[in-house]
Amino acid sequence: MTVEYVDAGEAIDHGALSAVSGTAPAVTDNIDYERIKNARSESHNWITYYGDYDGQRYSLLDQINTENVKRLGPAWIFQAGTSGQIAGASTYAFEATPMVVDGVMYVTGWDGWFWALDAKTGEQLWRYKHAVPFDVSLCCGNVNRGCAVANGKVYFVTPNAHLLALDATNGKKVWEKTIGDVRAGESASLAPLVVKDTLITGSAGGEFGVRGHIDCWDLETGEQRWRCYTIPRPGEPGSETWPSDGEAWTRGGANHWVTGTYDPETNLYYAGTGNPAPDFDGAVREGDNLYSDSVVAVDVDTGEIQWHYQFTPHDLWDYDSTMEMTLFERDGKKLLGHFDKNGYFFVLDRTNGELQHVTPYVDRIDWGTITRDGKVTPRKYPDKEGEPVHFYPGPAGAKEWTHAAFSPRTEMFYVPVADVGATATRRRREFKEGMPYWGAAVQVDIDNMAGSVSAFDTYGVERWRWRNSHPMAASVLATAGDLVFAGTPTGEFLALDARTGEELWKFQCGSGHHGSAMTYMVDGKQYVAVPVGWGGWLEGIIPGMLGAGHGSALIVFALPD
Amino acid sequence: MTTTQEREDLLSELGLDAQNSAAIGRVLGTGRTERATERADGTMEATIRIREDEIAWDPAILVLPHGGDVELTVINDDKNTHACLLPSNGDKKFLWLLNHSKGKAKLNLDGPGYYWYSSPGGNDEGRGLTAAIVVLGEVPPEARLDRPDQPRQ
Repeated sequence: MTVEYVDAGEAIDHGALSAVSGTAPAVTDNIDYERIKNARSESHNWITYYGDYDGQRYSLLDQINTENVKRLGPAWIFQAGTSGQIAGASTYAFEATPMVVDGVMYVTGWDGWFWALDAKTGEQLWRYKHAVPFDVSLCCGNVNRGCAVANGKVYFVTPNAHLLALDATNGKKVWEKTIGDVRAGESASLAPLVVKDTLITGSAGGEFGVRGHIDCWDLETGEQRWRCYTIPRPGEPGSETWPSDGEAWTRGGANHWVTGTYDPETNLYYAGTGNPAPDFDGAVREGDNLYSDSVVAVDVDTGEIQWHYQFTPHDLWDYDSTMEMTLFERDGKKLLGHFDKNGYFFVLDRTNGELQHVTPYVDRIDWGTITRDGKVTPRKYPDKEGEPVHFYPGPAGAKEWTHAAFSPRTEMFYVPVADVGATATRRRREFKEGMPYWGAAVQVDIDNMAGSVSAFDTYGVERWRWRNSHPMAASVLATAGDLVFAGTPTGEFLALDARTGEELWKFQCGSGHHGSAMTYMVDGKQYVAVPVGWGGWLEGIIPGMLGAGHGSALIVFALPD
Repeated sequence: MTTTQEREDLLSELGLDAQNSAAIGRVLGTGRTERATERADGTMEATIRIREDEIAWDPAILVLPHGGDVELTVINDDKNTHACLLPSNGDKKFLWLLNHSKGKAKLNLDGPGYYWYSSPGGNDEGRGLTAAIVVLGEVPPEARLDRPDQPRQ
């Protein structure tokens, strides 16, 4: 006799088995280019990646200030803990910058997660989960840095290189585009940037030998407007900096994997590019290797590179230049400041790329020297097969992707500094699509390290330093309350006096910081939010903290009522 | 060189292909591999099940020819209750599986690679009730890099 099966029905959304309501107020409906251009004027919100197109990570909010910050305490905590296996269980990190629009917070996580939260209470309003293959080649770590908001939608990329537009009221997919080739080792991790009626994204995967690119997409349809490759084909401008008789240009990296900045007046998008591939074996890619380790100023209407500046020509140390290009003005001049992985602080004229000056910002630099007028002289690099070479800073740089901040009030930059070296031993390998393509064995020092939050004026003069025993690996936030917020690898979240560097407040968050704090206001109350989730490319950043707990919480602070 | 059959025989001999034999659980990566079928409209179909006293998904590896929509028939032939938490774009899909029950799951997976799924009920997850859906194929042509074909293997 056949026994009928019990009817188990149809599988349901996992989120239905939670308190998620599934809806959020339609607060992003009227966010457009005009509002984003003036984002800082609505500092109660945080509506674009750096808080404003200029990349300053500076907020006009001053309710929390040097006088009262000692009373700061947790207001709510969002625990992102996920069910089932997650891709790269040992390597995820919470690297996002949350967005806030009129009381609603949008935050991305690793592994394709997106959450909408009530910014006042932490209540989860809706969630989206993209299915990410376990075997995607991730460079480096299972991470995502945030989203964009506009026109009733939110936009983000996934580790398997998809760009998604979701309905901001319910998290339902509106459109989706495949923006990279996972079979070639491409992935995606940056927060898209809304410029005019488009979105700008970039690719990740330099460590797998891809050809980096910046892309522009129609905000409403997802149709591609342009693609700008950051490695020229033979015959294109810059191609003379790659071997003419080889294939090096086809696999040379130079990925744009951190959101760029934008100046509406010059109409230029300032994109940082990654290291050339293979990272440490320069003999297979003789030449300067443009446009790796550069800032490229891209016309947002055409996708054409208008000017470029290369911070580390023919990089042999893994010194990506993807991190922020901070826009500021001095004596009426439109400038761009950039703290590079190579240990030097560059200031350029952002209208034409003309170098103003270069200054070291970390104590130990011995890979080479760069003079104040920009002359580069390499000194120590992996050159011979099997011969170890130790150099400072290591491949995570004197500052990794995490962001500096700039306060127009103090006219100072605040920089999370890492002072640690590494040993690279050249080991040539043949190129295979989707396989790591480093060209060396690399060991980052596990002791003899230091870190700091350092303050520099716009000429590169150090004004103060808050010292730490570990390299700093999280973004810094500056506010009009004359505060600088920073997170440490060991879990402390700090408030420093922006003028003196004095430590005014700290809170142990239970896990290391490798993300980007931000601040916002709801119903007249200022909050400071920080994602806490320690992981990612830790063997390159601080291998001595590889065994620390990961965490996956977003912690929001406020003054008591 | 070890053939597939020799591998299966060795796993059986060592007791690594069953629950509470040599090890407490069944070793991951053991079990059958099966291809999904495809309907005329492009939707893929397959059946995955938990056989009695095996506490493992069968097939252990389900192979889809390409990304897209897949409809699964999910069967629990065991005399214990389990569950199924599957990857899908939008949200993970969850199904309770009482003893001797059968249900459906509609998934969307949009690109090549392998995706894990499991039974997140009770203590199932650590005991071998973890399996993979493998999506074959390439990304769309417009998402490929503009460069000559490169060596892959």
